Amino acid sequence: MRHFRKLALGASLLALAISACTTGGGSSPIKIGSDGFYESRLMAEIYAQVLEANGYKVERNLGLGARPVTAAAIESGQIDLKPEYLGSGLGYYDKTKPTGDPATNKKELQTILTGKGGGITVLGYTPGQDTNAFVVRPDTAAQFNLKKISDLTAVASQLTWGLPPECIANPLCGGALKDAYGIDIATLKVTPLGACDAPIAEALNSKAVDVAELCSTQPAIAQFGFVSLEDDKKTQPAENLAPIVRNDFLVKVDKAAFSKLLDDVSAKVTTEVLLQLGVEVAVNNKDVDKVATAWLKEQGFIK
Amino acid sequence: MMEGLIDIASWLLHPAHWSGPDGIPARAWEHLALSSVALLLALLVAVPLGLLIGHTRRGDLLAINLANLARAVPSYAVMVMALPLTLSLDPRNGLTIYPIAIAMVLLAIVPILVNAYTGVRDVDRELVEAARAMGCTESQVLRQVELPLAIPVIVGGIRTAAVQVVATAALGAILGYGGLGRHLIDGIARREYDRLWAGVILIAGLAILTEVLFADVQRRLTSPGLRIARTGAAAEASEPR
Repeated sequence: MRHFRKLALGASLLALAISACTTGGGSSPIKIGSDGFYESRLMAEIYAQVLEANGYKVERNLGLGARPVTAAAIESGQIDLKPEYLGSGLGYYDKTKPTGDPATNKKELQTILTGKGGGITVLGYTPGQDTNAFVVRPDTAAQFNLKKISDLTAVASQLTWGLPPECIANPLCGGALKDAYGIDIATLKVTPLGACDAPIAEALNSKAVDVAELCSTQPAIAQFGFVSLEDDKKTQPAENLAPIVRNDFLVKVDKAAFSKLLDDVSAKVTTEVLLQLGVEVAVNNKDVDKVATAWLKEQGFIK
Repeated sequence: MMEGLIDIASWLLHPAHWSGPDGIPARAWEHLALSSVALLLALLVAVPLGLLIGHTRRGDLLAINLANLARAVPSYAVMVMALPLTLSLDPRNGLTIYPIAIAMVLLAIVPILVNAYTGVRDVDRELVEAARAMGCTESQVLRQVELPLAIPVIVGGIRTAAVQVVATAALGAILGYGGLGRHLIDGIARREYDRLWAGVILIAGLAILTEVLFADVQRRLTSPGLRIARTGAAAEASEPR
C-alpha cells in the first residue's frame, strides 16, 4: 500500500513536471526557507505546495532559525523565498520604522530590501496578522482586573514577567512598555524566555511567570484560556505576512504570473485561518505539510 | 576581523560587564554552581554503580547500553521533555533550574559510569585473585586493590564529564537560567555580537580551565606506586641496549 502511494505520488509529480513545461515554471528550483517556528514553516509550506502544483520545482529549507539567520540566508542567495512578517521584518533593518499600518510597513520594507542581496521583492501580504501580545492567565486577569496593557502599569512590580532576552533592547517590547505604558522592565522580576515558544506558554500556565509575551495567533492562548491584553496605546506594528523573493529568481520566471499565484493565496490567509491552522499543527500535532495540503485543497488552490 | 576582535576584547574588559547580577563574575558563579551540583549528583549515581558492575561483572551490558542511550538524546531535547513534569512539580525552579540540571546529570553520568566500570574491570585479574587468596573480603578487594588501581581511569571519566557539563550549562539560558550562556543567548537575541562572542570565549575558557584542573586532580590522585611504575617502565624502555 505504502509502495503504491509512493508510485502514485511519483506519477502525479511527473504529471506536474510535464505540465510545468506549459506554464513556464523554469528549470531551476526555487529554494524556499522559513524561520524556525511553526507558523513561518506553515506559510512557507503553503507557498511551496501552490508553486509545486503549478509546475515550479521547489527545494525546501524550512525552519532555518531566527531572523538573523534567515535574513542572511535570503540576502546571500542560499534561499530565494521566505515568508516575512512586515513589522518585525522591517524592524530588523530599522527599529524606528514599523507602524500600525501594513501598507506603510510593506512600502518601507520594500525600500530597504531593494538594496539587499541584489534586490528582494515583497509580494502581496495576508489580511491576517500575528502580532506580539502581552498575555496573562485568567486568574491573574480577574485578580487585578486586567483587560488592557495599561491596566498592568500599577501592578507591574507584583508580577513575574516572561519576556524574550532581546526585549530590553527592543523598542517594540521594552521600549513600548516603558514609553507608552510607563513600565520599566529593568526594575521588574523578569525570566528571559523566547517569545511565542511552547516553553513560555507552559511557564505561564504553570504560574512560573504571570505575564508573558506570546504571539496573537499562538494556539496556546486558546488551549489554556489565556487573556490577551489589549494594546490600548497602539504600540505594536502591523505584522501581516508576505512572501519575499530574490529578484535574481524572479527574472528567471514569468514574474506577473508568479506574483499572482502567491498573492491569491495570501489574500485568503486571515487571522482566523492562522489560528485555526496553528491549532492543527501545534495542538493536534499534525504535520505542517499535511495541514497546508488540506487547507489549500479546501480553498481550491490545489487538487 | 581585527575590528571584531577588538570589539570582543573591549566588551570583555568593560568595567560595567564585571559587576552586578548580569556581570561576568555573577554569571560565572551561576555557571559553576549549576555545573558543580550536576557533576556531584552524577558522581553519586555513577561511581558506586560503575564500581559495582565493574567488580561483579553483572548487568554491565544493560547499564552501559542504558547510559549510552540516555546520552544519545540531545541535551536540549531532554530539557524540553522534562519541562512539563518539572513545572508541575515546582513552578519556579521547574522552569529555570531542573530541566537543565536533569540534562546535565544525564550527560555526566555516561562517561563517569563507563570509566568506573572499565577501570575496575581492567584491573589485572592476577592481583584480584592474589588478594582473595590472602583472605581479603570482596569489599576489601574492591576498596584496597581494584579502586586504587582504577583511580586514574575513573578520574579520567569525571574529567570528561566535568568539561561536557561546563560546556552544556550554557543551554540553561534558553529556559531562563543565568550562567555564562546568558551572554550567548542574549547576544544572539539582541544581535550584540560582541556580547555573544564574549560569552562563547568565557564558556570555552571555563571548560578549558576545568580540563586543566581535573587533569591535575587526576595526576595527584594516581597512586605514587603507579606513577613510579610507569616512569620506571618508561626509563627502562628508553635505556640504550
